[in-house]
Amino acid sequence: MPQAVLSVGRLLERLEPAPSPEELRADLFLSKVEVERWEGDALTISCTPDRLDLLCESGLRAYLDGATGRSGGMPVVNEHSLPPGEFLEATERVTPLRPEVAAVLLHPPPGTALDEGMIAEAVHFQELLHATLGYDRRLASLGLYPGGSLRFPLRYDLESMAGLEFTPLGQDRPVPVEQFYAEHPMAQRYGAMGRQGDACLTLRDAHGTVLSLPPVLNSGAVGEIRAGDRRLLLEATGTRRARVEEAIALLALPFLLRGWSAAPVRVKAPDGVRSGEALLAPRRVELPAALIARLSGIDLPPEEVEGLLGRARFAFRRGAEEWLVAAPPWRNDLLGPVDVVEDLLLLRGVRIDEGYYPPSPTVGRRRPESRWRRQVGGWLLGLGFTPVHNSLLLPADHMARLGRTEAIDVANPTSAELSRLRDALQASLLASLGRNLRHGYPQRLSELGPVLRRDPEAESGARTESHLGFVLAGEGVGFSDAASLLEYLLRRCTVQGVREPATLPATIPGRAARLRIAGEVVGELGEIHPAVLEFLGLPVPVAWGELDLHALYPLLGGPTDSAPAEPRATAAPPGDGPTTEI
Amino acid sequence: MSASTPPSGGIELSLSPIERTLLRNLQQAGRPELEEAISTATGLGIEAVRGGLQRLKAKHLSVVDERPTERGVLTRRGEEAIERGLPERRLLDRLQAAGRPLVSAELVPESLSEEELPVAVGVLRRHGRLAPGSPFALTEGGAEPTASLPEEQALQAAGRGEPIAPEVEKALLRRGLVAVERSTVRRWSVSAEGRQLPVASSDRPEEGALRPSRLRDGTWREVELRPYDVRAAAPYVRAPAAHPYLEFLEEFAELLVGLGFSEEEGPLLETEFWNCDALFMPQEHPARSVHDVFHPVGLEGRLPDPGLLSRVADAHEGRTLPGEDAPISTGWRVPFSAEVSRRSVLRSQTTAVSARFLATRPRPPFRMFCIGRNFRPDPVDATHHVEFRQCEGVLGEEGTSMRELVGVFRALAEGIGIRELRIRPSYFPFTEPSVEGYVRHPRLGWIEVFPGGMFRPEVLRPLGISVPVAAWGIGVTRLAMVRLGLNDIRQLFEDDLGRLTGGD
Repeated sequence: MPQAVLSVGRLLERLEPAPSPEELRADLFLSKVEVERWEGDALTISCTPDRLDLLCESGLRAYLDGATGRSGGMPVVNEHSLPPGEFLEATERVTPLRPEVAAVLLHPPPGTALDEGMIAEAVHFQELLHATLGYDRRLASLGLYPGGSLRFPLRYDLESMAGLEFTPLGQDRPVPVEQFYAEHPMAQRYGAMGRQGDACLTLRDAHGTVLSLPPVLNSGAVGEIRAGDRRLLLEATGTRRARVEEAIALLALPFLLRGWSAAPVRVKAPDGVRSGEALLAPRRVELPAALIARLSGIDLPPEEVEGLLGRARFAFRRGAEEWLVAAPPWRNDLLGPVDVVEDLLLLRGVRIDEGYYPPSPTVGRRRPESRWRRQVGGWLLGLGFTPVHNSLLLPADHMARLGRTEAIDVANPTSAELSRLRDALQASLLASLGRNLRHGYPQRLSELGPVLRRDPEAESGARTESHLGFVLAGEGVGFSDAASLLEYLLRRCTVQGVREPATLPATIPGRAARLRIAGEVVGELGEIHPAVLEFLGLPVPVAWGELDLHALYPLLGGPTDSAPAEPRATAAPPGDGPTTEI
Repeated sequence: MSASTPPSGGIELSLSPIERTLLRNLQQAGRPELEEAISTATGLGIEAVRGGLQRLKAKHLSVVDERPTERGVLTRRGEEAIERGLPERRLLDRLQAAGRPLVSAELVPESLSEEELPVAVGVLRRHGRLAPGSPFALTEGGAEPTASLPEEQALQAAGRGEPIAPEVEKALLRRGLVAVERSTVRRWSVSAEGRQLPVASSDRPEEGALRPSRLRDGTWREVELRPYDVRAAAPYVRAPAAHPYLEFLEEFAELLVGLGFSEEEGPLLETEFWNCDALFMPQEHPARSVHDVFHPVGLEGRLPDPGLLSRVADAHEGRTLPGEDAPISTGWRVPFSAEVSRRSVLRSQTTAVSARFLATRPRPPFRMFCIGRNFRPDPVDATHHVEFRQCEGVLGEEGTSMRELVGVFRALAEGIGIRELRIRPSYFPFTEPSVEGYVRHPRLGWIEVFPGGMFRPEVLRPLGISVPVAAWGIGVTRLAMVRLGLNDIRQLFEDDLGRLTGGD
């Protein structure tokens, strides 16, 4: 979950009466925020990824204001408009690289200005949004600029770097942009998103001043906000319009909740003109009254619903059978009415004592096949085989030494020890024997578990099989031990198999076989090759056998499962039955 | 096991003929005997005696008194001195033969080497046989014939392995003619147990195992069956037991069956469609990155039925589904990619099984569960493993709500003996509302084990489900650790025979 370190001082500012630490923890327990650490003024919190607005002081304070009943309703968002000449032009050249751009101008309430606390909050929140919503700036990145000396129109372009100079934020002298891209740490990290060949993205104002090189860095000359600023430009560029717009609304939040007003900047893009009015427009949701009861299981009186809507910081209007709900623009988690219902239920509290487990109208059952698998595994337990439990992932070099080259590798393993998926239990069981060298012999191990095998017919390119495998290790152990055991298991299943010679991985040539029933391969067995025993450090012969229970089960004529794991080829749209009305 | 019990070995007290002879000899001797003496008395070779006595000792039938000793033994130089004569002997013989004093040039190198002359002169003068000064002249006593010098006698004794006088030994050690050999003198006697053990006096051959062939032909009458050490440790027997983790999972499954749930399974290798898209997880969701999902090498997945794919894409993009009047929601407002849908991944959540189950359009009411393996590329440590199990469940019928979900949590917690439960908000892309159930653990405090919620309409409607569905994905791995008292998740992948069989 994303984390943020908040200033307790700023969080509790104007929160009257201020809660005690215990009250604050209790209030937050009912929110999507979790307190990780609290040291002096530094409060480290984590939050579920849908409520990024709670990861800055202003957003969390607004939530607490409402949740605790200190204030209610949707926070006021002050908007103003810009003259027609104040717009941002995005050229066609940016389209292949980073086409989306949006911006707003922010103004403080009369008599106030940007202060150090707001700068700290905005900068921290900006970085958090880059890392989360922005997908490390790939989908969206944000910039804040002092707006006092800006001249519109702004221009978002892809320009040749030749002859272009830029003063990186934190420096006082311009450097050639080519040098910046070659040397600056921020350019090395994010540069690939902002350049194409010998050209790079630029944001300039009407003076031609380079404000920033999106999405890498602002200009140190004109792109650094300072305490006392009375006009700010907030812009975002990216590859996804939805994420760019959400990023603007979220970073505007700390300003708007302090009474700043915002003016959307019109964007003239190759695909048309966008007024930007949607950036700060409330999110409107029609909430059917019946949906609340449907999801909660509780009939809440309309007065209670409205109380909760207010505490959730929504504006609302009651209709005949629904509420028309308006939410602040930064609530990008509200996709539909179920999201509003969630806010109401969580604010009310999900109460354990209201939990109700209705008498079951269905008869529970295990899958006949899984019950049978466990039964077969039990037969081996009765024969003195100790069941082990292994991961599906094994070291690729272990599998290679066994000759199991058909097994599937993982493209992004976390370690060499867990890098290849077993295609037979043989690999796991031999590894287990290798880990039990100190225990003396004979040893008998079994495992009941899945394996993965390549299958072009399978939807994912591989099929999951359920196998039962065993190994016997000890003096005098040989192929016939494995054969006897498999025959015993088949006899218990009331079927007979036929062994046919086979060349199988890790086995001695001429001492390995496949087991067939009615032409179907249902098992493999063999005596393990001394080279493998030597590799594993095993001092005694080993016999191995393995049944493909998934293949064997249908041949037994037992009950099949009524609900198949694979879906029907076509899942038709809902019919005339009751639907989830929202 | 008592202190007198032999520490290991089989229970058979097997005495070979040599051991029987030695034991009988010790019983008759009545006092400690040297190995050499026992060898002489029994006529057995010294090595056979030593080996046999050690075996008797291992069987607690003999005891040994061991004392370390030191003695002088001839070095190669000492052996040469015996052969050629000591330098002092050669000097004495030469002077006596000459009958007059001799100078160095008359002695070196014919009779003595340059190094030997001063040593020989020193020894003879110490014995008073050579007068001081040069040329070298014998004293009066020195001219008399001498049978042997003390050094010669000592050297001869060392050659025979006999002790020699310490002061002479020291001089010979300095001259490198003898070396000190350390050894142990062992005197053997019979132990209290050995004294009481009857040693077969019969001439019949002795055998350990009773062979079936002797039973068949009756020749067992012709052999002596060796007595066993009935107190010896018996071979270790391992009794296999069900795997504790798998047993817990079975118990949990049966609990769900008792609550009316039916079991389902699903493939471990999935397409992203089933693992994520059908669950309304945005295609740019961080939990779908290579840091959160394993990708197999070289596998090509297939897309599901085009109609289903299209409806899921509609939900993602916020479009109206076919046959409906309005979009379910705004969706994720980003383009849906079928190419992403077809990618193969290792299943990262058993919720994929729920999606497959719901896509079969089960007739309400339905209650389904699945306990299955999932994979996520977490670094392995005490609390994380790349492979873990979840217990997935859905409950669907008209009227199902959060109350029923909380009811399921309560029933499951009570089913495994947990009384304290509390619930707080959570988030999953596929459920709304989403909650997390915490249970109180006596040692670990509140731990989250019951994540769940109501499936979003964006999940249900494209799959053809029209009733509300409560869903959860319980971390049964964590519950198992609590139940089994484990602190390290890696202990769940247990294959140590000692621990699994309750032994060492």
